[in-house]
Amino acid sequence: MKIYYKATYTYKIFRMLQSEIVSFVSTLGNIALFGVELIKGLKTFPTTMKEVMAQSSRFGVSSLPITLSIVGMTSVIIAMQVAGEMVKQGAGNYVGMLVAILMVREEGVIMAGFAIISMIGSSLASEIATMKVTEQIDAIRVLKVNPVHYLFTPRVIAGTLMMPLVVIVASLFGILGGAVASNLASGLTYKAYFDSVWFGLNMHDLKVCILKALSFGFVISLISCSCGMEAKDGAKGVGIATTKAVVWSFVAIVILDLIFAAVFFY
Amino acid sequence: MGIEVKNLVKSFDKKAIIDDISFKVDDGKILSIIGFSGSGKSTVLKLISGLLEKDSGEIITTGGDIAMVFQYSALFDSLNVFDNISFALQERKDLRGKYTRKELEKIVAEKLELVGLSGIEDKFPSELSGGMQKRVSFARAIVTEPKIILYDEPTAGLDPISSTLIEDYIVRLKNETNAASIVVTHQMSTIRRTADSVLMLYNGHAVFEGSPDELCAQQTPYTKQFVNASLEGPMKMN
Repeated sequence: MKIYYKATYTYKIFRMLQSEIVSFVSTLGNIALFGVELIKGLKTFPTTMKEVMAQSSRFGVSSLPITLSIVGMTSVIIAMQVAGEMVKQGAGNYVGMLVAILMVREEGVIMAGFAIISMIGSSLASEIATMKVTEQIDAIRVLKVNPVHYLFTPRVIAGTLMMPLVVIVASLFGILGGAVASNLASGLTYKAYFDSVWFGLNMHDLKVCILKALSFGFVISLISCSCGMEAKDGAKGVGIATTKAVVWSFVAIVILDLIFAAVFFY
Repeated sequence: MGIEVKNLVKSFDKKAIIDDISFKVDDGKILSIIGFSGSGKSTVLKLISGLLEKDSGEIITTGGDIAMVFQYSALFDSLNVFDNISFALQERKDLRGKYTRKELEKIVAEKLELVGLSGIEDKFPSELSGGMQKRVSFARAIVTEPKIILYDEPTAGLDPISSTLIEDYIVRLKNETNAASIVVTHQMSTIRRTADSVLMLYNGHAVFEGSPDELCAQQTPYTKQFVNASLEGPMKMN
């Protein structure tokens, strides 16, 4: 005799939670496995140089307008809000320092990270997910080419190398934007602003900024490619993979940011 | 010998999709695998090509490459026809750097001529019709001169005339390469025009094995139902 149990709401919620946890662990495991496979594929680097250049252009050039807009506007907003107050309190000489430290330590890299995730990470994930659901990845496998080496390696190398460049350009743009906003909002001279910038910045900040950018670039491109590779079930699967790539990348860079803050500035 | 499959078993979520299937295809012969959608036909191809791991059984081949033509061609849409066809020669670890650009151009031109599409090297897949994409995928499949060619519903989505053309090329490739070929199909015309033997699957089991003539003779309830496309018979649609 079969015994049927009524699925209660508690049971359904528990099953949903269980399914989410399984999916989380499975994605994490896949990203780690793809990461290991990718590192093995680094030996193929010289032969994929053409593809690395193409992907670098995608990371660096295509993402720059939106990255500059976001970082530039963020610095202008900060400068507009604090410059007036600081000048009133007699701390006008520190506005440049504040904006520069904020840009180099935090805003430049995190905002550039968000912009890269939105523009490039999502596009990487959807591109690879589309290849997966249209059997192009299977075709690569049947032709005895490792899809992780062929697809991930140039994208992750490009992402890792281009991210610092984007962050440096974006941070400089942010500092310049801060100068203009401080001048317009509170009449702070450009000389006073930039003197303060030079006084406030140091090599340690720049080194950490570049290191952080390198790790963000690596993590964003690896997660985006991995989530794309996990796609299944047609167009819906491509959408799910893209969303997952964006969410996971956002969370990952915030966690990394926290680790960097704790290790280098705490 | 071509390819021999013995007692092949594959399950998903504890449900057997392929359950103890055995068959053999000699060099220069074509086996058609037929059956309802979801009967496990494409899974057999994926197991032979190595895209899926078998649970048990044996797949014995003569060695050499196994090529596969996918249902919707699966051409790389970011690459042009030249790079699609020469992909394995350019990217495969053991073949990379073995051919000069001129040699690659010659090989690609030969393969394109074989499928009747000379001079389209610079076109992208989006610029080609469905039938042309399929033929380019044939050219890509044979570029490494495989000993086994697998076709997953090669005439799906094509008009009857394009289907006939594709069927002719399947036979032509068999004659040119002497490869053992397996064609998964639903279409009687493809079976009649290409197959040397036929294997019918239902619920993961082989329910008929014989020649196309024997299939058409409708001597079993399964073949009778399939050939007449009837809803009445031992095979039930899920």
